[in-house]
Amino acid sequence: MMPLSMASRGETVRVASIRAGWGFQRRLADMGLTPGTQITIVNCQRPGPVVLGLRGSRLVLGHGVAHKIMVTEV
Amino acid sequence: MAKNITVALAGNPNSGKTTVFNNLTGARQHVGNWPGVTVEKKEGGFGHRGYNINVVDLPGVYSLTAYSPDEVVARNFILKEEPDVVVDIVDASNLERNLYLAVQLLELGAKVIIALNMMDVAESRKYKINVKELSRLMGMPVVPMVASHNKGTEDLRGTIVDVVEGKVPADGAYLEYGKDVEGEISRLEGVIASSPLARRYSPRWLAIKLLERDEEIVGMVKEGAHV
Amino acid sequence: MSSEDIIQEAKQSLAHLKKVRGDDAETLIADARYGFISGLMKDVLQKPSVERRTISDKVDKVIINRLLGIPIFLALMYGVFQFTFVLSVPFMDWIDSAFGWLAGQAAGIDGWFGALLADGIIGGVGSVLIFIPPIFLLFIALSILEDSGYMARAAFVMDHMMHKIGLHGRSFVPMIMGFGCNVPAIMATRTIENPKDRLVTILINPMMSCGARLPIYIMLALFFFSAHQGLVVFSMYAVGMVIAILLAFIFRKRLVKGESGHFVMELPPYRMPTIIGVLTHMWERGSVFIARAGTLIFAVVVLIWLLDYTGALEPIGRTFAPIFAPCGFGQWESTVAVVFGVLAKEVVVGTFGTLFGIGGGIVGGTLAFELGWSALTAYSFMIFCLVSVPCVATLGIIRRETNSWKWTGFVAAYTLILAWILATLIYQIGSLFV
Repeated sequence: MMPLSMASRGETVRVASIRAGWGFQRRLADMGLTPGTQITIVNCQRPGPVVLGLRGSRLVLGHGVAHKIMVTEV
Repeated sequence: MAKNITVALAGNPNSGKTTVFNNLTGARQHVGNWPGVTVEKKEGGFGHRGYNINVVDLPGVYSLTAYSPDEVVARNFILKEEPDVVVDIVDASNLERNLYLAVQLLELGAKVIIALNMMDVAESRKYKINVKELSRLMGMPVVPMVASHNKGTEDLRGTIVDVVEGKVPADGAYLEYGKDVEGEISRLEGVIASSPLARRYSPRWLAIKLLERDEEIVGMVKEGAHV
Repeated sequence: MSSEDIIQEAKQSLAHLKKVRGDDAETLIADARYGFISGLMKDVLQKPSVERRTISDKVDKVIINRLLGIPIFLALMYGVFQFTFVLSVPFMDWIDSAFGWLAGQAAGIDGWFGALLADGIIGGVGSVLIFIPPIFLLFIALSILEDSGYMARAAFVMDHMMHKIGLHGRSFVPMIMGFGCNVPAIMATRTIENPKDRLVTILINPMMSCGARLPIYIMLALFFFSAHQGLVVFSMYAVGMVIAILLAFIFRKRLVKGESGHFVMELPPYRMPTIIGVLTHMWERGSVFIARAGTLIFAVVVLIWLLDYTGALEPIGRTFAPIFAPCGFGQWESTVAVVFGVLAKEVVVGTFGTLFGIGGGIVGGTLAFELGWSALTAYSFMIFCLVSVPCVATLGIIRRETNSWKWTGFVAAYTLILAWILATLIYQIGSLFV
């Protein structure tokens, strides 16, 4: 298990948990990011935002958010 | 006398709402390619089969929960103005994420049409979409479109009138949330039934929103719910 | 059952679900929705077994690359202004001579009406309309950036830097849009969720140099900086952006404290901009500029002409001129231009047109040989116009979007004071070297 901010480009991971306050957690859910979702790291700038591939779309997450999402390798 | 109906265009940001709006109404609103081109609602209209159809293009939203000021505009319109029909513009090349809003509209009990836009992009990626099956499972009419080439506009116009006249069902499928959540929903439904809010919105929907801790609905309930 | 009871019952339900399922109710509900959707997707959607990496992802490997992203952004911006500048000059010359000829004809008419026509209307409004080509070309270039999907990339690339000043990438899109016009740019801040982030993004937007300020730069750069015109004009945009970034940092530290929001944004795929789309966009924004020239600018310029014709303008200018003496442009003519320029930035060019006659050469020549301006004076004047009070329309939209006269007044005040300080610094320090 590791924070999403540490995953590297091209990796596919599964969301284990999100610790970002309930309002923001729901925002992420609205955009398709819930625990259990499988995501691909399409692009990342370290330190900086990441581009995720999930449910057929591309989502940008800031570094701070990415740090609060725990993922496991698939 | 022509009858007046109001149609709201909802959809995720960047799903092509404004292009569909321009096609329907002959307007020339700017279409960009970044989430948030439309930040306030725009109105236009057209006539079809004896109806005056007023079309409202709403800012893009991912769900019916509002976070930013542009999203509040969209949500309040759907919730408080209660349009006769909601056309949900869905990006066919990004179906899974886009259907999330459609599911929420279905929960709300609005009459919904899915305008399945960007079929050309989906085809270029070799996606095969079974439109009939999608319509059956969602319980709402689905109109395939390529709005950028003005394809599907006439179908959409016809479907809007069909739904208003009750010729095509558009009430949506019934969605279950699993045993535990359903248990709490039905318990809350009973509690809410006596609230004045229940005269306006379905108790089931209110229960779901309370469980989601939707700030506005919680606020409405607290106020004693004059809407 | 009372409303308070309903809330209590809901709280119990939430606690119960948390206990038996270990997750928040909204997560469970979202999961159920996605579960329904993915079940449905199995029956509805057939994807090719191996999905190709999309072209967008391949392009993004370069465009939003960690090392290349910012240089590419700066190169694109430089390209936008070069494109605007180089392509528009021949068109401007052409319109310039057409209006010059018209003014000559009108001057032949005797009496006040001839003077009104030649100096007021053709000189004032005409000298603004000369700048239709660069303004329209600028809008074309910005539309291409917008329609292609680059804006979201710029937000991505700048996120890290924006984070350091207490904002995030989302705030960057309204900033670039400000290069076109501050009014829609400030409206675009509505997509920013965090109210504090949004407020700061609004407050700094006037520093993003809009299309209406472009005529001032071009007019002066063509005459005073003939060797480096393009670079001097570009420098205005760069300076504006640097000031905006510094101000955001200060405002976020001192004025609007508190946590910044999270950055989440969808990255749309690249799309080829369509000619019709770009032209629609250009016209949508450009027609506003033409309409303003025919209404507000027309009215102000005729007023200026009338004041001048009756001899009232010079005393007004002389009253305020000492304020601008330290900035290097304390002549009554430039004072009048700057003071009326508060209404709309095009008025600055329109005033010079009314007072000196039409055409960049004539205006530049008069400023240089009769008012004694040097290149340094011109640059100080450009900086003042860049930073000082945005137009009335921008103040109006700031009032509407912040819903506060206090913040609107704050913007008017800080831009004026800062503009004066910067122009004075540039002129005084520059004078030591020149």
